[in-house]
Amino acid sequence: MGMILEKLPGLTKGLPGGELVLTTADYLIDLGRRQSMWPMTFGLACCAIEMMASYASRLDFDRMGVIPRASPRQADVMIVAGTVCKKMADPILEIYHQMPEPRFVISMGSCANCGGPYYDSYSVVKGVDRIVPVDVYIAGCPPRPEALQYAVIKLQEKIKRMSLAKEGLATPQMEKGSRPFGA
Amino acid sequence: MTQDELFAKIAARFPKIEKAAVPVKDYLTVRLPSKDDLLPLAQWLKTSGFDYLDMLTGTDFLGPVDMKGYIRQQNFNVFLPDGATPEIESAATPGYAYKPVLDLLWSFVSIKERARVIVKLEVPRDAARVPSLAGLFKTADWQERETFDLLGVTYEGHPNLVKILTPDFLQGHPLRKDYAHVKDRFDD
Repeated sequence: MGMILEKLPGLTKGLPGGELVLTTADYLIDLGRRQSMWPMTFGLACCAIEMMASYASRLDFDRMGVIPRASPRQADVMIVAGTVCKKMADPILEIYHQMPEPRFVISMGSCANCGGPYYDSYSVVKGVDRIVPVDVYIAGCPPRPEALQYAVIKLQEKIKRMSLAKEGLATPQMEKGSRPFGA
Repeated sequence: MTQDELFAKIAARFPKIEKAAVPVKDYLTVRLPSKDDLLPLAQWLKTSGFDYLDMLTGTDFLGPVDMKGYIRQQNFNVFLPDGATPEIESAATPGYAYKPVLDLLWSFVSIKERARVIVKLEVPRDAARVPSLAGLFKTADWQERETFDLLGVTYEGHPNLVKILTPDFLQGHPLRKDYAHVKDRFDD
């Protein structure tokens, strides 16, 4: 899988043959998933500026394996950065369905969480969790880039607990708290 | 060319047009007597240097109406004791001239003369129909669609007067003061 484990040389030295590592399938797969979370490249409002700042060299998202992808078919995580208008809700749903399983959603900022300052607007969806299940919410208006990176770390911890045996290829979205899709 | 000279030129050609009581910033602001004068004036302005339509928009001058039909709780006040009646905040401010009109606005710019003319026109709210400038200025196309979408002004002669901003299922024109929101599939 192209991974280099920190202590791999030291571990393999003591093993018979020196080329074999025993681990669980869950650990290996979750490691691969959580260290290469590729988000879909799209932004909806001013939170996207903070998202771009996280990608840029000062805060450098690449060191966590977060590399923005231009196609939803190559993406694992969708960062909903900004206000979700009712007109934009259907395209977001379409992007979400085009992403391969397991897929994760980070709701970034007050607007995406609950509507934010537009809580009684005629044109804004009051939270992106009304259309797609959300894994991690970030508070703030807009959240700082560090907050977004913290959310990715939290999502990595969530992925770490995923298991093939339990609920098959279950995603953390299936955990309680997320709304069922289509609600 | 000063504003007075410019207004004298306009007044010589269109004697019925007069200066607005309240100007927009410090620009020359003229008020049209009727909607039939808009097209000749715009045509004349375009040929005499004002060939850039900066923007067009409108304002609803109907006073505040009751917030009926919307999600917001009326006068939600946590500090109010139980059983007390909240005061109605959505009443018209006394002394302020609310009137059932839409005040439409066009802004013409002459880049050569470095001058700007604001043209205003009042139309009744229930019969908001004005001629379209989309044949004269390309800018007018989308901006008239936007004004139609948000304020419900019908621009006669527009090639494609359909909604541009709001989703298809939204009923009504949101920037009208008496807009009542109809709940859709994204609301509770």
